[in-house]
Amino acid sequence: MSKPRLQAEWEEIEGEYQQLQETHKIYRQKLEDLTNLQATCSSAISKQRKCLKDLRQTLARCAKACDDKDIKLITDIKTQIKDKENVFFDMEAYLPKKNGLYLNLVLGNVNVTLLSNQAKFAYKDEYEKFKLYMTIILMFGAITCLFFLNCRVTDEIFNFLLVWYYCTLTIRESILMSNGSRIKGWWVSHHYVSTFLSGVMLTWPEGLMYQKFRSQFLAFSIYQSFLQFLQYYYQSGCLYRLRALGERNQLDLTVEGFQSWMWRGLTFLLPFLFFGHFWQLYNSVTLFRLAGHEDCKEWQVFMLALTFLVLFLGNFLTTLKVVHQKFQKNHKKVQKSD
Amino acid sequence: MLFSPTGFTECLREWEDLEKDYQQIQDTHRLYKQKLEEVTKLQDSCSAAIARQRKQLKDLTSSLEVCKENHPSSKLSQEDLDAIVEIKDSIKDKTNAFSEMEAFLPKKNGLYLTLVLGNVNVTLLNKQSKFAYKDEYEKFKLVLTVILFVFSFTCRFLLSYRVLDALFNFLLVWYYCTLTIRESILISNGSKIKGWWVFHHYVSTFLSGVMLTWPEGKLYQMFRNQFLTYCLYQIGFVQFLQYYYQSGCLYRLRALGERHNMDLTVEGFQSWMWRGLTFLLPFLFFGHFWQLYNSITLFRMFQLPECKEWQVLMCGCSYMALFLGNFFTTLRVVYQKYNQDKSKSL
Repeated sequence: MSKPRLQAEWEEIEGEYQQLQETHKIYRQKLEDLTNLQATCSSAISKQRKCLKDLRQTLARCAKACDDKDIKLITDIKTQIKDKENVFFDMEAYLPKKNGLYLNLVLGNVNVTLLSNQAKFAYKDEYEKFKLYMTIILMFGAITCLFFLNCRVTDEIFNFLLVWYYCTLTIRESILMSNGSRIKGWWVSHHYVSTFLSGVMLTWPEGLMYQKFRSQFLAFSIYQSFLQFLQYYYQSGCLYRLRALGERNQLDLTVEGFQSWMWRGLTFLLPFLFFGHFWQLYNSVTLFRLAGHEDCKEWQVFMLALTFLVLFLGNFLTTLKVVHQKFQKNHKKVQKSD
Repeated sequence: MLFSPTGFTECLREWEDLEKDYQQIQDTHRLYKQKLEEVTKLQDSCSAAIARQRKQLKDLTSSLEVCKENHPSSKLSQEDLDAIVEIKDSIKDKTNAFSEMEAFLPKKNGLYLTLVLGNVNVTLLNKQSKFAYKDEYEKFKLVLTVILFVFSFTCRFLLSYRVLDALFNFLLVWYYCTLTIRESILISNGSKIKGWWVFHHYVSTFLSGVMLTWPEGKLYQMFRNQFLTYCLYQIGFVQFLQYYYQSGCLYRLRALGERHNMDLTVEGFQSWMWRGLTFLLPFLFFGHFWQLYNSITLFRMFQLPECKEWQVLMCGCSYMALFLGNFFTTLRVVYQKYNQDKSKSL
């Protein structure tokens, strides 16, 4: 390369470098302004929250000594307060916030709020894809363990994978909740219970009792992966449609249960779900029977029986609640039309 | 705020004030979202500009090399040679400047963090947050070290139950996993942690996981006490010593400006520790040789006729890997110092 050309290129690079330094300086400055704005917004929102809470309590006291006209006004204000709280929840999805206990323990103080709608949506998509891939891998793992390799080592690897999968799900779901996703209580807790279950399965030593339960457990895992795949497939299609109609939030996720919006086209999934729940009950009963067996010395058997029972109760009752609410809604509709 | 409205009209007045504040919050938030978009655009253009410049510098460096090959140095004038050297230095400075700039720009996560966390950005965007995060990491290690010490003491001397051992091992697995996650985040934020000291946490996770699956039996009982006493020494005593003395030393060196703010306390011996922490070396080497002893014990146990558990061989190999990695990494630091002293005295 000739000398003048080298020189020209070098000068061009130098020029761009100077520009880059300028841009970066402006960026750091704006970043600082932004950080200050974030702090202002966050403190203003928490102050308003507190004031609204106090006001609501005072209004409740006032309502006892007021006439009808004032009571109507009070109810009106209460509705507006509730709306404001929803708005604050949505605003805070774009502001950095302190992590909850679980995320704090695992990640520390790093902020996990995604600050733009696309980023949040992309993160949710990634979470769904992660669940899908892991479900498929786990299904193949369970099939291999049940039909091809009958080895404690491969069982251990499968169980470790389960523990890791559920732990990672809990971390990612905590991050999603931090970003404004509204995931209901049991569907988060049940991942913690599943982590515990897989962990206990991990420590169960090879033996007569283990061999008795092994096939049932692996077959159950295969069914559950199949069910999760079904759920993902149909739920994501349905959610896509509902989001396009504007009836669901962008950050709604596919879950392992039955939710109210699923009545529109996904009712056929219910029998599959209930079958899975009753399989959990059957696992629990089998394990209780094994625990009463005279050869049984392992604490894992009883612990697993209890855990499967908890899973069954949580899953079944939560799903039943959704069915019950629908039944009541239909009943009210029929009454209204009469 | 000590305003406590008692009458209904006062409530209404309070409500109107709150409405005004609410409007203000909405305006501030709108402004915030706007600025957020501006900053995000700036971030993207900075990142793109840095990537572009990096590529240009790389091309330029290779052009310079080609230039040097085509024109042997005897034919180039002194002026040209000086210019080339100057350009090369300048390129090096620029590359360092880019690394510094990138510490404040969001970046894609590495494989491990992407698997566990997904695409959430973990870059802390100002110096105080980075430093606070590092401090939090150190505190986390310290608290967990104390808990693990108490736990292993209980398991060794007070209660001998497989369940408790399993819980202890689960805690170890969780501790090492969390350390790996936090260290990946620190590396993403500019901390320079050397290869082995990160990798050895993955090996420790694996080791604790295998210990977890080792069923109750004669062989397990044979190894248990040795393992728990080793944990007491390594995790409780040595790690605590390391943390205590290293953090003091790091504090001093940072005040003198000789070490980077994001340097961490580690479980090994690093070059800066020669200034006052040399007394730690025998403790460290003793820990490494205990790992070797664990490994040999397990290999011996593996050869017993009663041994049916695969965990024995796997743990033996893991301890061997830990010993080799720890010992040779530390030995290298000693060797470098020896070379340094030798060249000084020459």
